[in-house]
Amino acid sequence: MNKTTRAWLTGGIFGGLIALISGGLVGFLAGIIAGMVTGLLVAKHVVQRTPMEGFRRGAQNGLIAGMFVLVGQLLRGLLINPIIDPHHAGLHAVYTAALGGLVLSGLVAGLFGAVNTLPAPRNRAWSVGLIVLLVLAYPWLDQLLELRFMNEIIPVIVFVLMALGLNIVVGYAGLLDLGYAAFFAIGAYTTGLLASPHLGVNMSIWIAIWISAAVAAIFGLILGAPTLPLRGDYLAIVTLGFGEIVPIAVNNLDKLNINILGYNVVKDFDLTGGSKGLNPIGRPWLPFIGEFRADSPIPWYYLILIIMAFSIFFIMRLRDSRIGRAWMAMREDELAASSMGIDIVRTKLMAFSMGATFSGFAGAFYGSYISAIFPSSFAFDVSVMLLCMVILGGMGNITGVIVGGLIIQLADRLFLPQLSQLVQKLFEKSDIAVLKELNFASDFRVLLFGLTLVIMMNIRPEGLLPSADVRAELHSGDDDDAVVATGVKQTV
Amino acid sequence: MAPILVAQGIVKQFGGLTAVNKVDFELEAGSISSLIGPNGAGKTTFFNMITGLYVPTSGSFIFAGQKINGLRPHEVTRAGIGRTFQNIRLFAHMSARENVLVGQHTRLRTGLIGALLRPKRVRDEEAAAVTKANDLLDYVGLSRQRSSDSAKNLPYGDQRRLEIARALATDPQLLLLDEPTAGMNPQETDDLTKLIRRIRDERKITILLIEHDMKVVMGISEKVTVLDHGAKISEGLPYQVASDEQVIEAYLGKGAAAHGKSGRKSSASSPSA
Repeated sequence: MNKTTRAWLTGGIFGGLIALISGGLVGFLAGIIAGMVTGLLVAKHVVQRTPMEGFRRGAQNGLIAGMFVLVGQLLRGLLINPIIDPHHAGLHAVYTAALGGLVLSGLVAGLFGAVNTLPAPRNRAWSVGLIVLLVLAYPWLDQLLELRFMNEIIPVIVFVLMALGLNIVVGYAGLLDLGYAAFFAIGAYTTGLLASPHLGVNMSIWIAIWISAAVAAIFGLILGAPTLPLRGDYLAIVTLGFGEIVPIAVNNLDKLNINILGYNVVKDFDLTGGSKGLNPIGRPWLPFIGEFRADSPIPWYYLILIIMAFSIFFIMRLRDSRIGRAWMAMREDELAASSMGIDIVRTKLMAFSMGATFSGFAGAFYGSYISAIFPSSFAFDVSVMLLCMVILGGMGNITGVIVGGLIIQLADRLFLPQLSQLVQKLFEKSDIAVLKELNFASDFRVLLFGLTLVIMMNIRPEGLLPSADVRAELHSGDDDDAVVATGVKQTV
Repeated sequence: MAPILVAQGIVKQFGGLTAVNKVDFELEAGSISSLIGPNGAGKTTFFNMITGLYVPTSGSFIFAGQKINGLRPHEVTRAGIGRTFQNIRLFAHMSARENVLVGQHTRLRTGLIGALLRPKRVRDEEAAAVTKANDLLDYVGLSRQRSSDSAKNLPYGDQRRLEIARALATDPQLLLLDEPTAGMNPQETDDLTKLIRRIRDERKITILLIEHDMKVVMGISEKVTVLDHGAKISEGLPYQVASDEQVIEAYLGKGAAAHGKSGRKSSASSPSA
């Protein structure tokens, strides 16, 4: 398949599916997404000379992708909507959104195409700039189109932030961690204890968030210590254990008793609120904005974006430093790394604690945002979800992890629930008795999620945006691996 | 000259198997020496004990006046011993330059805070490290165009050279090369032999080789030590060792030594036949 074809096909499928599943004014958003994906892919693979040519090429392909959005939108508006809601009105809106999606797709793709014709370092900066602009403008778009996605999107970003932290451990240092949600829990509970009336501390969230990150980092070291001699599968099992221990411990720390030499020092002390959890957790306060409120998500959105931006910046710096190199060397060959002067113990512990730090930030923010935390929010499936985000996006690649994280999280929180509701409604309206009995909305969400993963991993085992060498690894034969021996065969 | 490395009564047992048995060994500073012996003689085990990957069952290593057994591998490297591996162990998915940068790890000081804030000191250090990496790649004869390639995409001979560059990046006083010419054609072997000699002559680095290619061993070593079944059976100048009956026997089996001159010749000119 030609690279250009692949570009508009990818963009078109994304946009078309979103339009089909969500319908309504989401069509505009679907158009923007289709245009962005198409524009970026075209710009990446095809060289254009002038901005005009770039714009034309981008817009052409964007319009083709936009056709998918148009078709999706029309299918939804003209075929599906009448079935699930016979009394609905507003064909007018269907046509507007369909055409709007088409135009926006062409426009956005054209913009990305044009920007790409700038000289080498600037084209990248401008592409990133455009994306940042879209992200910053999103709350406005959300209001304009009455999408009401903000409350879903904020936790999505929290999860992407955690995936970036996990990427340090798994992607850079090569340590498979199946219990990463534990650090999320530790961050959230530290904030919960410090910034709520539960212990009477009521600390400001601006201080609590730093303490939470530090506490998570310390727990990173504590988890790291017993895993030092282990690698691969064994390491994964130990981290799995830790991931199980933390939520269970939190659940049971509502009647804490400590006996020292027969004296009951602490009696029935309620540390974590048990399964009832902790609430209310304090919210941030800023001059001019006042205290952040649950019903106005915009300040929260920008706050998590700022945390995200700083995290990405620092993770990139770590990656490109002496420490990042040590992590990657350790991932490639632990024994050779130690023989080249890398202190494996220090480097591993550093990876665990740095990974945990970002999760601690995420947990603190999440606790404050949701205002109530429960042990069940940090179960094993959270760790698995995060690992999926890292692997699907492309291990070791920041952009890949962000894209993978966004896709999985948006699918899981927005589009799959909408899809399953849609199917549910279709079933209810159908004449087949068995289908009417099925409770699709609640039962099949996880199935759809699993199915998505299976399909994605078969199409692109290296993840969506792999670092270049991983792709080479997976798509070449085993012949060049024979040259560089990485096994531990150090016998005479 | 004073010895840079002294091994006293080194023993290594794996369960019931004695891999290295009471080996005494001295390495003169600034020399090129070879460690030879049939397969399974304990040569690589000996290397692994020097570099801290294995801990000797008994005996001690003294490097530049400091006892180094019991140190962990990275501490040995910091003390000034660099090494390469018998079966190349590069960081396969990192570029050639990054491999050499990793080698400089112990000589750089950037910590967590420095990496995050990247003050001028860190930027300068990093720039110097990159310059040094490029210089080392030039020195071992890897072309500039190749330096951004993944290590695993380099031709075999270049991978061997890169391993040496990476080991040199640790600023060693002593360089241990484990079969550096294995799998090379005669031309490449010749070039590498020259490189090894240059490293000693220009950088004053003491070199200890494990080598099976007798031409290389006889050509550049100033001293040859022969191990067989974990024990030192002979030591001395190359020609002395080549004519040692015990050595010929170890390589060719009992009776070979009795054949006289022809046996000696073959042991000197061909690898462990």
